[in-house]
Amino acid sequence: MKKILAFALMLTAAVVLAACDSRPVLRILNWGEYINEAVVDRFEEEYGYRVIVDVADSNESFYSKIKSGTTAYDIVIPSDYMIEKMVDENMLIALDYDKLPNRANVTYMSGVNQIFASMTATTQTRTSETVDYTDYAVPYFWGTFGIIYNNRIAGLETALETHGWGAYFDPSKAPAGVRRGMYDVPQFAYAAAMLYLDQNVNAFSTSLLSQAQTAIAGANFVEWGDDSLKRNVEAGNLDMALVYTGDYLDRLYIQLEEGKTLQQVQALFNIYVPEDTFVFADMLVIPNTSKNVDRAHEFINFMLDPEVVALNAEVVGYAVAFNESYDIIMENLTSTDDWYRNWALANQTYYNKNAVLSVAPLTALNPSDIDKINTMIDNVRS
Amino acid sequence: MNSTYAKLANPYRIWLYVLVFIPMIALVALGFTNLTSSISFNSLSFTLENFDMFGEKSILVGFRNSFTFASITTLVAFVIGYLTAYLVYRSNFNNKFGIMTLVILPMWSNLILRIDALANIMSENNILTSLIGFSPFSNINGTPLAVIIGMVFTYVPFMILPIYTALEKIDNSLIEASADLGKTPFQTFLHVVFPLSLKGVVTGSIMVFLPTFSGFAIPKILSKGRIVFIGNIIETKFNYTIFNDGALLASTILFLIFGAIVLLRRFDKEGETLL
Amino acid sequence: MTNFPKAQIEDYGFKHRAYLKPLLKWAGIVFFVVMMLMLYLPIIIIAIQSVNSSVITTRFSSFTLKWYLNIFNERELLSAIKNTLTVSFIATTLATILGTFFAIGIFHLPKNKRSGLMFLNNMPILNPDIVTGFSLMIMFRFVMELINLIIRLFNPGASISIFGLPTLVLAHLFFTFPYVVLSVVPKLKELDANLVDAAADLGLKPMKALIYVVVPAIKAGIFSGMLLALTMSIDDFVISFFNTGAGFDNLSIWIYGVLGRRNLTPSVYAFSTLLTLVIMVGLIGSQFINKKGKTNK
Repeated sequence: MKKILAFALMLTAAVVLAACDSRPVLRILNWGEYINEAVVDRFEEEYGYRVIVDVADSNESFYSKIKSGTTAYDIVIPSDYMIEKMVDENMLIALDYDKLPNRANVTYMSGVNQIFASMTATTQTRTSETVDYTDYAVPYFWGTFGIIYNNRIAGLETALETHGWGAYFDPSKAPAGVRRGMYDVPQFAYAAAMLYLDQNVNAFSTSLLSQAQTAIAGANFVEWGDDSLKRNVEAGNLDMALVYTGDYLDRLYIQLEEGKTLQQVQALFNIYVPEDTFVFADMLVIPNTSKNVDRAHEFINFMLDPEVVALNAEVVGYAVAFNESYDIIMENLTSTDDWYRNWALANQTYYNKNAVLSVAPLTALNPSDIDKINTMIDNVRS
Repeated sequence: MNSTYAKLANPYRIWLYVLVFIPMIALVALGFTNLTSSISFNSLSFTLENFDMFGEKSILVGFRNSFTFASITTLVAFVIGYLTAYLVYRSNFNNKFGIMTLVILPMWSNLILRIDALANIMSENNILTSLIGFSPFSNINGTPLAVIIGMVFTYVPFMILPIYTALEKIDNSLIEASADLGKTPFQTFLHVVFPLSLKGVVTGSIMVFLPTFSGFAIPKILSKGRIVFIGNIIETKFNYTIFNDGALLASTILFLIFGAIVLLRRFDKEGETLL
Repeated sequence: MTNFPKAQIEDYGFKHRAYLKPLLKWAGIVFFVVMMLMLYLPIIIIAIQSVNSSVITTRFSSFTLKWYLNIFNERELLSAIKNTLTVSFIATTLATILGTFFAIGIFHLPKNKRSGLMFLNNMPILNPDIVTGFSLMIMFRFVMELINLIIRLFNPGASISIFGLPTLVLAHLFFTFPYVVLSVVPKLKELDANLVDAAADLGLKPMKALIYVVVPAIKAGIFSGMLLALTMSIDDFVISFFNTGAGFDNLSIWIYGVLGRRNLTPSVYAFSTLLTLVIMVGLIGSQFINKKGKTNK
């Protein structure tokens, strides 16, 4: 008995000691697999820190983890509307641009600037305060929402290009028997319905809510999910779904690695980005519970280097936020390496920096309105 | 001696009161407040408004779905679980304990990975069709059947184990006596073995019914989000920090649990059945 | 003598059912095999995915073992695995040792106190995960605020966070204690009360009697309690999700977080298959050791 106890103690001690690492720590809360390991390794080498990346699966998870204060994160990477909510509730630290010298070397893409402007505008209407969100956030990745579709179904591509959101919500405007899927975030479903009804994505009223309910019920979605949507369209188990454009590129990169070309993949499954779509931007922010604000600034500065961002984009299929990074990716158009050439081609097709977009990011809706939207979606599904 | 040993239980009593009893009261109380993340503790107030949500279609359907699916799952698990336990009990295996460990072993793999694997082979184009050309389950992903299959085979070990334990405890001489008194093997089973194993059946049923009723991961993945369970609704409420509604719904489930405990006590006055 | 017809046994109601016996036996074997197959089907699929060279889970490309080697390159996966093993090991050990003592204590309580305590003991098992996770988090938050209040009396401006390994272990203990208690108490009932009296007669003090007499006699109960505790702890997600902190994610939390928006690396499948294989080998190995032990006698 005593021997067993002694052994257990020794083992515990060994485990605890092995966990000790004397480098200073930087804690990041991020989406799953949303950062290239090579980027993290490079940062650790240059600055001698140990980076611990925690993952969460939704903006709401980010919010509750920071609000509950159970862990002191130094960097968090939420989406636009969650950043609005966090600033409303004073959860973020204003950035000190003196510590971010790399900012002077990059220019934000026009879409990103439009997103910032839009966030300020919606905050103005909501709280009558003027908030410049660049005070709090540096863009990380951004992109559009689109409809990923199974290109093996005849007539689907043409239906989408003719009717846009109509083909997605109205079964009569698409080939018969098409299986539709929707993203499992109620606010996204509501926003898509708003665009279908030609309304502003962030407009909310009781009548709009019931119109959205009719539209969503009429679409007869057979699947509600997040990452399963893109996988199922790729496999042919689903025909249309609302996803992040970056979701499509993720699967594209994987197919490219396994030897296909861009054209071959597009013949199997492609993504349609309507002209009036909604966008998102994930940004780096520092929560006010951080204990290493200077270290956090060093990380943000590191992520303001165009080369680092281009390296990050090799693994993450979302759009880079800096024009300079886009240019670096474009240099690969003439590369002899198949993967790199297709990678650059994909970025040029879907994330063209010269594309003229009128973008509308989602805003932080009133919690009780969000609850009503959640209930509405649950009602549709039951 | 007894009183010396009895003192060992005191730290546990404190632990249970602090971590079980008090949070339970707090949870039920929360259901009557307006607490969400945007309310600070100063403006907390008591209200009965939360009960309005019981009129929403989704909540009623959620309860109905949870109850129906949990009942069907428990029934199916009872039938095949009892059969399995009985077969092992009557067999001549040397290491029956090893068989029981084999039954538990799949539970060591991550639940989400396992359910995802099931969802994979239940879809039309899946890894089995690409490997061997066909799949026993093709194309039922998203249907109620998929959810039932998933839930039954995830939780059936919880049914098998208690029934097996109860069967093993039956005194063999009782069975022999029954045969001596002229009962056929089938009648022996019906009138002697089954009633003596009832404790295990009740335990197993509760251990299957409760997690199935309040679970949300399996229905979410296997029904492709189409079937709404009460667990899904509570999860959404908590994720969006609408604590008061979530707490009220959770308290409703607690009431069900009390019902289950009352049922347990009828079968075993000391409350030591569960295993 | 007149030839009276001999009574046949069928006249008394006996029905020849002997032919059923082998039929039922085969039906039983088939049923059992199908049952085990169904239980292990997901595990088999996961094993197939772990040797699939394609990351796309619906298509099998070619056989490869690279994902097994790659486990060591995935730092987040390794860290999650290490955390899971640490927490489960500590929680299971503490739950088994302390739980056994608690069970012995409860067993010797008078009837009324015992049933009240057992009622509370069963609650964690019956409570839905999400309710337990959330209410534990509230309790820990509350305790943490109290501790910080006291710390601030001595050192204003300082604060600690207890969330992380300590709260995670406590949360796991919360739902593993009941399993150990429920496994040990029945064995205590079966224990011959004379044993303890005999120990007292031979001069053993109560505590020593406990360790040298009672514990070995209820070994089987302690072991099965430990097994159950380990099983429940190693795959827990919801309760751990709410009660972890300081970035101490375990494997389930990590998988759930990655599954949300992104792609899952097949190294996770490789690790899962590896774990299952190791335990199976351990089981078969212990079988052989047992057999050897018996023949040596």
